[in-house]
Amino acid sequence: MSIEVFPWLIGLSAAMFMVGALGVLIRRNPLVVFMSIELMLNAVNLAFVTFGRFLNSQDGQVFAFMVVVVAASEVVVGLALITTVFRSGRDMDVDDLSEMRE
Amino acid sequence: MTVLTGIVGVLALISAIGVVSFRSTIYCALSLVANMVFLAVLFLLLNAQFLAAVQVIIYAGAVMVLFVFIIALLSPGSDDSPRLDLRFLVGLVGVFYVTLQIFFLVGNGTTYDKTAVACDSAQQQQCSLSPLRGGQIGRVSHPEQLSFYPNDVNQAGNVQVVGGQLFTTFLLPFEITSLLLFVAAVGAVYLTRHHVSGSRRE
Repeated sequence: MSIEVFPWLIGLSAAMFMVGALGVLIRRNPLVVFMSIELMLNAVNLAFVTFGRFLNSQDGQVFAFMVVVVAASEVVVGLALITTVFRSGRDMDVDDLSEMRE
Repeated sequence: MTVLTGIVGVLALISAIGVVSFRSTIYCALSLVANMVFLAVLFLLLNAQFLAAVQVIIYAGAVMVLFVFIIALLSPGSDDSPRLDLRFLVGLVGVFYVTLQIFFLVGNGTTYDKTAVACDSAQQQQCSLSPLRGGQIGRVSHPEQLSFYPNDVNQAGNVQVVGGQLFTTFLLPFEITSLLLFVAAVGAVYLTRHHVSGSRRE
């Protein structure tokens, strides 16, 4: 793959990251917020792999592997939290879940 | 190759926008699955075969099954429309601004050499070692770490090279990762069991 796709891939990574950040801002459902966070982690993975490819380095792939593991454990804990909140009989709305603030 | 990269990239961006704009939660999840599969194709095109397999197995397989399972279990209301208020406007402006900033910062040629022909193997002549400018800086301080040329890696096997790195250079982060997985598993069990035992006690 030639070097001219490099800025497009980094631009795609940035666009995907910002779309995920927008999703965290505008969605109310905590499940969709979590999916947006996954989207942001995926975008960072793409940037890691792209930089690693054009630096002739394997470190980007190894670190993207670490990011995958962190994302998996984050989803496990997050979904456990969501089920616990849902079982206590409240609405699935991130704006209403504010009792940890006080 | 470049055309395929462009098509898959556009599809990945469209499915990413679908994740945040679909009203139904299950459509968001399916859109995210599509996005992860397109990213796996991009990883294949970028010589990251092992990571592409990991992406499909762990993300599209395990994580998204967990998501769809929770959606089916809780069945949250499907009337979750994205809010269109000041937060949306600020976010949208931020999206366009930051994306364009990064795209032009990377693409204007200061971070990489536009005319360079990247080396595909160590034996190749008349090519630049790394078309990225940071590559030359890193090569001076750590010459052994930036010498994985695509054809050489494919010759040795991508899984072998990544695994070798994982168990030599990155052994400590790898072990810390196992600790993180353990803590996450214990935390998930604690979070879901605590509520049940608490309600029984009442």
